[in-house]
Parts: sequence; structure tokens; C-alpha cells
Amino acid sequence: MARFKETAMQYVFLAAACVSIAAVALICVYLLGNGVPTIFEIGLPNFFGLTWKPSQDFYGIFPFIIGSIYVTAGAILVGVPIGLLCAIFLARFCPAPLYRVLNPAVRLMAGIPSIVYGFFGLMVIVPVVQQLFGTSGKGLLTASVLLGIMILPTIIGTAEPALRAVPQSYYEGALALGATHERSTFTVILPAAASGVMSGVILGVGRAIGETMAVIMIAGNQPRMPGGLLDGLRTMTSNIVLEMGYSTGLHRQALIATGVVLFVFILIINTCFSLMKRRKDA
Amino acid sequence: MKKLIALMLALMLVLGLAACAGDAANQDNTTNDTADTTGDQQNTDNTASTMSGAITVISREEGSGTRGAFTELMGVLVDDVDNTTVDAEIANSTSLVQSTVAGNKNAIGYISLGSYDASAVKAVKVDGVEASVEDIKAGSYAVSRPFVICYKEENLSDLGADFVKFIMSAEGQAILTEEGYIAADDAAESYTGSGMSGSLSVNGSTSVGPVMEVLAESYKALNPDVTIDVQQTGSGTGITSAIDGSCEIGMSSRELKDEEVAEGLTPVTIALDGIAVIVNLENPVSDLSAETIQKIYTGEITDWSQVG
Repeated sequence: MARFKETAMQYVFLAAACVSIAAVALICVYLLGNGVPTIFEIGLPNFFGLTWKPSQDFYGIFPFIIGSIYVTAGAILVGVPIGLLCAIFLARFCPAPLYRVLNPAVRLMAGIPSIVYGFFGLMVIVPVVQQLFGTSGKGLLTASVLLGIMILPTIIGTAEPALRAVPQSYYEGALALGATHERSTFTVILPAAASGVMSGVILGVGRAIGETMAVIMIAGNQPRMPGGLLDGLRTMTSNIVLEMGYSTGLHRQALIATGVVLFVFILIINTCFSLMKRRKDA
Repeated sequence: MKKLIALMLALMLVLGLAACAGDAANQDNTTNDTADTTGDQQNTDNTASTMSGAITVISREEGSGTRGAFTELMGVLVDDVDNTTVDAEIANSTSLVQSTVAGNKNAIGYISLGSYDASAVKAVKVDGVEASVEDIKAGSYAVSRPFVICYKEENLSDLGADFVKFIMSAEGQAILTEEGYIAADDAAESYTGSGMSGSLSVNGSTSVGPVMEVLAESYKALNPDVTIDVQQTGSGTGITSAIDGSCEIGMSSRELKDEEVAEGLTPVTIALDGIAVIVNLENPVSDLSAETIQKIYTGEITDWSQVG
């Protein structure tokens, strides 16, 4: 009887594992099955062209690919230095009482829904940019700053444990050779934790490129090539969400195809992440 | 020593945040003040438009019903080509258009009149006509569209006729008014349940659909034996289905074309929906011609100093 239970439970666990794998597989099949033929139906030059006017059969998503890359790059520029320094502070410099406040605060940041971030951006960052530069306030700069804030918990959450996992003997060895606390941290601990830190950055990139609701509210969403730091732009995710509601026919198919391109980007990022991990394990 | 530094840091952080909040509050005050003074200026020297700065054009996403109606009525849409400037910011909901315009003094946008909040934004007059219920009813406000239902007389069952009667009754019109639209008939007679039974299919516009659902619910409350199937497929499909008889009543958020009426359809305007053109409360511009709006949306006019 006990044995029967054992085997039965094993199959239950197997089923649970299968469900999650099946979900991923189904998404792949659905996306690729719908998207790839559409890309060829639209034609590669049109699909990766510069003009997006679905009502006139122009389905160029190139500006949105560039938009996604710009916004993500901006988010890294803003978020990585802050996140990294914050992780180092939390791991090596933070006094215990302060840690008890800061750590939950960072965790809380991860739990705030993105639409709330978007609203914060619309109400706080947009007016500031408006006042400083005299533009509409929506655009690359605003989106970068907000996304930079949004990826902080992801970066800190991965980098801090990695920094803590560095064997204490490295640090002590550095001290014994006469390095100061700061110097040991930055020249010994940080390089030792590099792969973990990089994983955090890559996860942050994944979060930034996939973020939608917050970006829609503050990026301006113009369907054209972004021309500058203060110019509005549209990302692939926001393009899908913006137009999904009313689209029909080829227009809807084109949005699914946009999803395929986004999916490929996420795959690339995740592959980088796995490679990074493998190097760490080796 | 370290503790002291940490404490100071924390204190600075808190103070910094407080300062930011203070700034925001001050900003609010100043915006109110400037709004008041511009109002005063207007009263004293009657300079209508002293506004300058690049216009931030806010539009809705491609495929939106409001965008479709607006571009068509304003002449932005020519020969089925939407000429809205690519520099227009795109917002994907009425509320986002409104809050964006409320936060940017150079912005212009358009929303359904039913959602217009006069404390947040200002609806401009179009060709000197205010976006009000009266003017839309009189037909003098240019940016409005009718909500139409249509049916073939010979296909209409007793139930269908009774449902149309309900929509045009005092109760039905009250529901439309409550949902933010402008009733087509103020002096409608009141409706009493007829005890009808059977099923009815209604098909068409996604703009009319939501309010039609509400109407159908209320009708079912009065006549419990009835089922009404409301499908939202778009005005064009609704009208075609009413012509070929695959549904009894079609819904449209635009006027029926002559050739559609020639197919034997009877159009009934059940309500009017206005589209308000909105600007920031600080913006002194209060009257725009339809032509100017068209030029703003096609990108010919890009600065407020060119307006007026």
C-alpha cells in the first residue's frame, strides 16, 4: 500500500512538471505557428520596415524593435549602477538594523504592480521631465528612468546573494594582505561574484524588455523611429497591448508576429542567462 | 560612528522625499495660480490666444472606434487613409488621454463626451459651438456621431418591435442618458412589460454594444421569458447581418449610408455620442475651428502660436 502511494505521488509530481512544460510548449507552438506564416505573408521587407500603418497594410515593426532596445539600454544605464552599488552596500557595508529595514523595502519594490509604477511615472517623472526640458515629458528618458527603478529589485535580489556567497576566506585573505575593507570588497569580492552579478543584470534586461503597462503610460507610443533622448517611442510589448483590442485579420496576425520577435529576444536573453550560470557552475 | 553616518543617510533620504512631495504640492499651487491669472488676463484685455509652445498631439490607437469617428468627422481621414501625424502620442484609453492632457499644458486630445471631466481638462468649442448636450442635439456641434440601430421591417418579429419600443421609451432613453450618451428623444412615452417571450439577436458596433447589453438586461428584467443575444462585431458587420437576415437588429456607431438604406433597412437613431476636443486647463485657447483641429492632427500646425 505504501509503495502504491509512493508511485502514485511520483506520477502526480510528474504531471505537475508536465503542466508547466506543456504551457511553455503550447505558447511556442501557438506563437510560431501563427506568427511565422504571418511574417512571410506580410513579407520580410514590409514586416521589418519603418512604417506601421495597419489600415494601409504597412506592418513595419523595426521602429518598435529599436524602441525596445533603446528603452532596455536606458534602463540598464540607470538601473545597473544603482542596483549594483545597493547590492554591495547590503551585502558588505550595511549595519544590521538598517538591513532589517532596507531588505524588506527592496523586496516590496519587486511586489509593486507595474501599472502602479506607470502611474507613478505619469504623475511624478513626466511632469519633472516636462519642466526640465519643455517637452511633453513622455519618451525615452522618462521610460528609461522608470524602468531603471523597476529592475532594481531584480538586480539587487540576484546580486546580493551572489556577493554573500563569496567565501569569507577571500575577504580575510585580502585584509591580511593589507587591503582596506572597501578595496577588498571592490577588487576581490565583486570579481569573485561576477557571474552572479551578471545573471542579475541579464534578468533585469529580461524584465525591462518585457515590461508593458508602465511603458505604455509614459513612452508616448508614437509608431516611428525614436529620434532622441526626449523623443517618444513605442516598444514591441506596448504595440501589442495598444492595438490588440480592436484589431482584426492581418492586423491582429501582425501583432502576434510582433510577439514572436519579442519571444526570440527573450529566448536570446535566457540563453545568455543559462550560459552565465553554466560558467559559474563549472 | 558608522551608526551615526547611517542615521544621517536615512534622515537625508526622508528629508529628500519630503522635499519632493513639498515641491509637487507647490507646483500644484502655482499651476492653479497661473490658471487664475490667465483667466484674469482674458477678462481684461481680451487677447484670445497668447499661447505658444510645441503642440503635444494625443491620439488613440489605430483601430479604436473613437479614433475612427474623430478622424472621419474632422477630415483627417481622406479616402480611407488615416493622415494622423506619426508624431502624435498614442494613448490606449479615454482615461489615459484625459490624464495626459491634464498633466501637459501643450497637449490636445479627444475623448467621448460621456467621459469628459471638466475639473481635469477643458473641452474647446469647435467652430464656436460648445460641446454640450443641447448643441449636439441641435446638430450644430460638428464632432458627434449617432448611435443607430437598423432592421428590415419584414424581418422584425413582435419581440424585436417591442425591444425597439423599449429602447425608444422613457425608460430606455433614461438608461442611455445614464450611460453618458445623449438621448434621442426627451419626451418618450413610458414602457410597460409586454410579457413577450422568445429570443432576439442583435449584432454590430463595439461602441454601441456595451450600452446595448445594459438595455438588454433591463428589458429582460421586465420580460423574464426573453433572451437577447448581443454580439459586438463592428458597425459594418452589424449592418450587413441586418440586411442578409442573419440577425434581427443591427447596431451602428455611424449614420447609415444611402445604399444601405436602399437595401430596405429602417434606421433608428437611439442616441448621440459627442466627441469632446480637450486641452489643458491652463491653455487659454477655448475655440478652435474644425480646420485648425484637422491641421493639428495631420501635423500641419505644430505650435500653439500658429493657432488662432
